[in-house]
Amino acid sequence: MTTTPAPPTGGHVSRRSRLALPWAVARLGFQRQFAYPQAALWGLITNSFFGLLRVAVLLALFGTRPQVAGYTPQDAITYTGLTQAFIMAFSLFGWFDFMRVIHRGEVASDLLRPASLLGFWAAQDAGRAVGQLVLRGLPMLLIFQVIWGLNWPPGPLAWAQVVLSVLLAWACGFLFRFLVNCAAFWSPDAVGFGRFAWAVLGLGCGFLMPLAFFPEWFRALLAWTPFPGMLNTTVELWVGVTSGAAAWAALGTQLGWTLALLLLCRVTLRAGLRRLEVAGG
Amino acid sequence: MADFRHHLTLYLRLLGAQIRSQGAHRTSFILDALGSLLITAAEFAALALVLPRFGGLGGWTLSEICLLYGLAELAFVLMDILFGGFDAPNLSAHVRTGSFSTFLLRPAPLTLQVFASDFALRRLPRVLLAAAIAGYGLTHAPLAAVPETAALLTAAVLGMICFFGGLFVIGGTLTFWTVDSVEAMNVLTYGGRTLISYPMDIYSAWLRRTFTYLIPAAFLSYLPALHLLGRPLPDGLPSWAALIGPLAGPLVLAGAFAFWRVGVRHYQGTGT
Repeated sequence: MTTTPAPPTGGHVSRRSRLALPWAVARLGFQRQFAYPQAALWGLITNSFFGLLRVAVLLALFGTRPQVAGYTPQDAITYTGLTQAFIMAFSLFGWFDFMRVIHRGEVASDLLRPASLLGFWAAQDAGRAVGQLVLRGLPMLLIFQVIWGLNWPPGPLAWAQVVLSVLLAWACGFLFRFLVNCAAFWSPDAVGFGRFAWAVLGLGCGFLMPLAFFPEWFRALLAWTPFPGMLNTTVELWVGVTSGAAAWAALGTQLGWTLALLLLCRVTLRAGLRRLEVAGG
Repeated sequence: MADFRHHLTLYLRLLGAQIRSQGAHRTSFILDALGSLLITAAEFAALALVLPRFGGLGGWTLSEICLLYGLAELAFVLMDILFGGFDAPNLSAHVRTGSFSTFLLRPAPLTLQVFASDFALRRLPRVLLAAAIAGYGLTHAPLAAVPETAALLTAAVLGMICFFGGLFVIGGTLTFWTVDSVEAMNVLTYGGRTLISYPMDIYSAWLRRTFTYLIPAAFLSYLPALHLLGRPLPDGLPSWAALIGPLAGPLVLAGAFAFWRVGVRHYQGTGT
């Protein structure tokens, strides 16, 4: 079956062995990303080309202004590099994997595994995200560094906050994607619903434009949603638009939304599994 | 002439079958249509929402950008509907599974069948949105009053349909040899669409020149738009360059179909 580690003898389950399964799943998710290096290369070229266009548009918007809404032109370039780097790691263009598993009924075999369904998928996606970060994210940042030069977080504290924020952005984004995929429990047309959700995500998380550039009313609206925490917060911490006490508050907001989405995912998943019927075969 | 009418009837009949099959799952169809509409809407909204803060994009106002953006999007979506069968992911699926052979066996022209093999009606709402954006640009931008406006706009849209359709045909033809490198075409198709959605003077000179003289994308809508807005053409090009610019589209399409015929002769099926 799977490479599940042997259950520990005796009644006591040690902390180590409880983490062994998610770790193995994450590692496999990581390794799987490297199966098609040529496709990754072409993807990188496409992302770079679009990065080039987006930088041109942003710099043309700035014109001769030295700073707009806390961003310098160099910050805007860094913003573009970061958003292009995270496209794959954060699955910003959409993610239908869990939906497909529900529609095909393969979720039944997932349920046989000796692990929580959400935990299993989270581990798998974490591995996938790290793999894509290595394969597509870091090369993208390197390309931007070579062509335009990036701004980097100024010190150890800023770096720590950025790393925390990346982890929370992934967690928040994963839970949102998982929640959207759960729609497949209720409808065979969930793919269309998913497309809808990814379009909203693209605008709301600051992938299309830095959220700081939007009008006040639109930002106030977005502040009530979890979307800014899925990318924009990380970018603002990286370039230093958010710092000091505001940085901790931003991280707190990300954490809050992550916990809220976790709760929502668990409730939705339980309800979905209760109505799940898989035709035998 | 009778031949042409026969082919047209055949094409329309195949489209009718496509439309009926896509209408079978109504909810799915509507959600798909709204989803793909929202992607364009979000992308455009992001630009339109930030523009007031900056006052313009490299000296171009919102209505002038709407003209470029709307025309490019309108032509691209119309092309996507018409030429969807040649799109590499669709065609490579036929080539890989061997179902392309069934096209060759049927007593109907091959090209016509491929044209009618993927007619994605779910993109229609995007056509309306693109037309609305272009319409806003046309009514609000300071157009120079020239008699050739309507003709030039029509030619620009048709030229872009031919140009991007040609790129789809080239990308589809490449799948007869390889299913890998077709991703490289995305830079030209989707990248080219995005590139000409914005005023091309914002790009660095080498990028603008590449997409003017090597790949004639700028001739399709950017030069005609400059002409209609009464702006001078780049690189000291004479104003008639803007008038004949859209012809670049049909030339690319003709070249693409010549390549397509070579590809079809090369095709060898999968033996299944």
